[in-house]
Amino acid sequence: MNKEFQTEELASVSRRNFFKRTATVSVAAAATILTPATVLADDENIMHHTKWGTTLGDEINKNPYGVPSKYEHNVVRRTSALMSSAGDMHAAISMTPLHELNGIIVPNGLHFTRTHNGVAHIDPTKWRLMIHGLVEKTIVLTLDQLKRYPSESKVLFVECPSNGAAEWKGPQFNSVQFVRGMMSCSEWTGVRLKTIIDELGLKPEAKWMLAEGSDGSEMSRTLPIEKVLDDVMIVYAQNGEALRDEQGYPVRLMAPGWEANLCVKWLKRLEFGDKPWYAKEETSKYTALTASGKAIQHFYALETNSIITSPCPEVPWTDLKKGDLVEIEGLAWSGHGTIRGVDISFDGGKNWVEASLKGLVLPKAWTRFSYMHKYDGKPLLLQSRSYDDSDNVQPTVNQEKKVVGVEGVYHRNAIHTWAVNAKGEVNNVQIRS
Amino acid sequence: MFKLDRKSMINGTSAFAASILLLSGCMDGSASNNDTSTKTVQVSKDGSVSNNDTSTKTVKVSTVGVYEIKNKTAIDGGVTYVKSDGIETAYRYNQQNIKGVSFGRVATANEIKAWDLDALPDGTGLPEGEGSVEDGDELYEAQCASCHGDFGGGGYGYPQLAGGNQDKDKNGIVITLKNQRLEPGMDAPKRTIGTYWPVATTLFTYIRDAMPYATPKSLTSDQTYAITAYILAQNGIEIDGVEMDDEYVLNAEKLAKVVLPNRDGFYPNIDGPTGPADVKAFFADRAKNIGSGTRCMTDCKDPGMDGKTEATVMKIGYEMKDVVPAYSTVRDLPPEIENSLISKAEKQYNESCKLCHATDNMGAPALGDIDAWHELMLKGKDKVVYNAIHGMGGMPAKGGNADLIDSDVKLIVEFMIDSSKKKH
Ligand code: HEC
Ligand code: HEC
Repeated sequence: MNKEFQTEELASVSRRNFFKRTATVSVAAAATILTPATVLADDENIMHHTKWGTTLGDEINKNPYGVPSKYEHNVVRRTSALMSSAGDMHAAISMTPLHELNGIIVPNGLHFTRTHNGVAHIDPTKWRLMIHGLVEKTIVLTLDQLKRYPSESKVLFVECPSNGAAEWKGPQFNSVQFVRGMMSCSEWTGVRLKTIIDELGLKPEAKWMLAEGSDGSEMSRTLPIEKVLDDVMIVYAQNGEALRDEQGYPVRLMAPGWEANLCVKWLKRLEFGDKPWYAKEETSKYTALTASGKAIQHFYALETNSIITSPCPEVPWTDLKKGDLVEIEGLAWSGHGTIRGVDISFDGGKNWVEASLKGLVLPKAWTRFSYMHKYDGKPLLLQSRSYDDSDNVQPTVNQEKKVVGVEGVYHRNAIHTWAVNAKGEVNNVQIRS
Repeated sequence: MFKLDRKSMINGTSAFAASILLLSGCMDGSASNNDTSTKTVQVSKDGSVSNNDTSTKTVKVSTVGVYEIKNKTAIDGGVTYVKSDGIETAYRYNQQNIKGVSFGRVATANEIKAWDLDALPDGTGLPEGEGSVEDGDELYEAQCASCHGDFGGGGYGYPQLAGGNQDKDKNGIVITLKNQRLEPGMDAPKRTIGTYWPVATTLFTYIRDAMPYATPKSLTSDQTYAITAYILAQNGIEIDGVEMDDEYVLNAEKLAKVVLPNRDGFYPNIDGPTGPADVKAFFADRAKNIGSGTRCMTDCKDPGMDGKTEATVMKIGYEMKDVVPAYSTVRDLPPEIENSLISKAEKQYNESCKLCHATDNMGAPALGDIDAWHELMLKGKDKVVYNAIHGMGGMPAKGGNADLIDSDVKLIVEFMIDSSKKKH
């Protein structure tokens, strides 16, 4: 019998004795203090030494680049054949697990991803950015040169304008990840485009800018100069590190608050012109067909929006007891400006109360909201409705349907409803005619 | 009911109209949220805010919500924020002069020529070259039909490139684009090149830059003109009143003349000198043009309903459940992935070859198709490896991945051969 084993056994014997003694004491105590006596079983996890407390851990730098705990392996992006062409996962979308996130920053590995020709892998030493067209002076930059410009960091959400598109005709996915997961929020670092443009000199005829990617799809979009000279950035970092390949490594455009598709990834070229280009992703796609038979083009800013992330189908209230005081939490965001407030309804939109915003309240960024609720086990139709400083208020499903119909695909921001049943289960429903 | 006065914001678009956002019918008990205050700052003529510029005039800016906004709507209908004293919203800035910061170099004429390949709707930028409908037919059949279907008709789940009814109503609107699937079984609006796309130059540049899907940028200008001609012909497009028959030859000049049926199917206007201003005016009246909610707090009627009927609770009819990976919020140890069992060759196959070889849809011998591989192996393994390295027919050299070295391709082919043998 080796020494280690002996100590192990001794320890457990004495632990068992200790156990017995405390058990007796607590029964006695309970009998005198509490009536009727409720005897709580002792938690094994507290009563025993743990494996991780009795062994040597990993060497300090086993993972020179840290990885999440193995136990978090279900916290991942998810996709579905419905989010692709023919189930082909090169032109597809993967969704952020909103129900697993905290605060307003999305870890880089969980940032939602949309690609049109697969994820490109760019050699940063071979990457070049060209700016030309209606500028006094053209420019070619390497990555190192771009990083020499004064930098700026901003917390901004990035959202695919087809976020929630599966829901136009009715609820389809029983999951917050699929209902609203085509978005993320990060701190982005790069150069304000105006800094470079001012130096190059913009010709007065310049009205539009073409931004072009260098991946297989050569994804390109047209932006108006007003936005370009306002807050558009060329970013190379996300949450403190280089962009991930999925987010356009080494450089993407960042048009705060605007369609993620306009934030062209794997950026290669910016051209200034006096006419818009009519790229495939601003004609065939990313135009919103309304019931009139005509479509809205150059839709730009993402709508004022919100979603309750707790509870949700993935994180229900099935563990709650009547009388529990529980926090309702969610995310609000607006591409038009800053969230001013969020209202909550428990009865499907007839009556509303004001929720609190919590944490940082930043323009064009995710904003957390919170409301303390006394759970009473009754069925609820839970909704959130956000409004912002540009005067936009989230519409009801029927209001949105009335103005734009159900075939628009893009820019859906109707108030979302979770039905909470008597068991505390949460299901995706819609209040609609 | 809570609503900001929309008009004051729209009027505010004219340079620096000194109006403040008005609040009408504020709800009770929300003063903290709806606080409107006025502040005076210096705004220079170009709209930038500064403290030391002498040529400034004083205007009022308002704070609605958390941060100071300029008294005008942005082009997208949203707000623009005031930047002054090194502060913009929650962010601080270094206020030192950055004029003169300059890195990089001027682009050479050849570099611009190499990269500036885009084309405008009027044809500016289209390359020289030409191609006939007939040639396009052949190329399309060989390189596109496997995904986009015969004649562009779709059917495999990839975008449909032709088809759909192009008839218009008396207002010039393509009738089927008004289809709304309000009930199950109703027809969807069909968005093809012939029914939906506004301009044809997009088709040319997109095909040249992005297709065929697995080997983009492999088509010459002549080939691209030919395929573009073929797809336009399948959509029944006429150019200058001329029908596109098999002999029709497309070039830059003719492509620029194409007027697609749905050319006027989009709004707001973005063309011409007023383009950006038209866009701005459109988004400034967002409530009317796109719709906005209202902030009723008690006994609210759904503003989207007619007031007589009540909306009902619609549940999920058919749940979309096939998500990858499957839903789970469990915190346990992951199933051990037998990583060592997946060879490097298989990984490389997945990355560079699977797209075409997973099925025989594209004319490639499918992985696991014992008969197909048996037959092609009759020419000898060396020849098969050679063909994989150098390409053959629809098979691009190294599957289109020039980064693969020859010995890797050989290992991948061996993996493919191995996976396509009879299992004992
Ligand atoms: C392996 C399948 C595949 C092949 C082969 C292929 N494509 Fe595509 N094509 C796609 C996918 C996927 C998309 C959508 C890409 C996206 O999501 O942006 C697409 C989109 C398109 C579009 C835009 C459709 C729309 O309505 O927006 C056109 C046009 C097109 N392809 C033309 C071609 C032509 C021409 C060829 C042959 C030279 C070709 N494709 C070969 C898969 C394919
Ligand atoms: C763009 C589609 C495509 C990709 C990607 C592709 N193949 Fe092929 N492959 C084909 C087609 C089509 C054929 C059939 C050619 C023929 O019979 O003319 C083929 C045939 C082959 C053959 C049989 C050659 C012979 O002698 O009959 C081999 C081996 C092969 N491919 C290996 C590969 C490998 C290895 C890769 C990845 C590195 C790859 N392929 C990627 C389309 C593709």
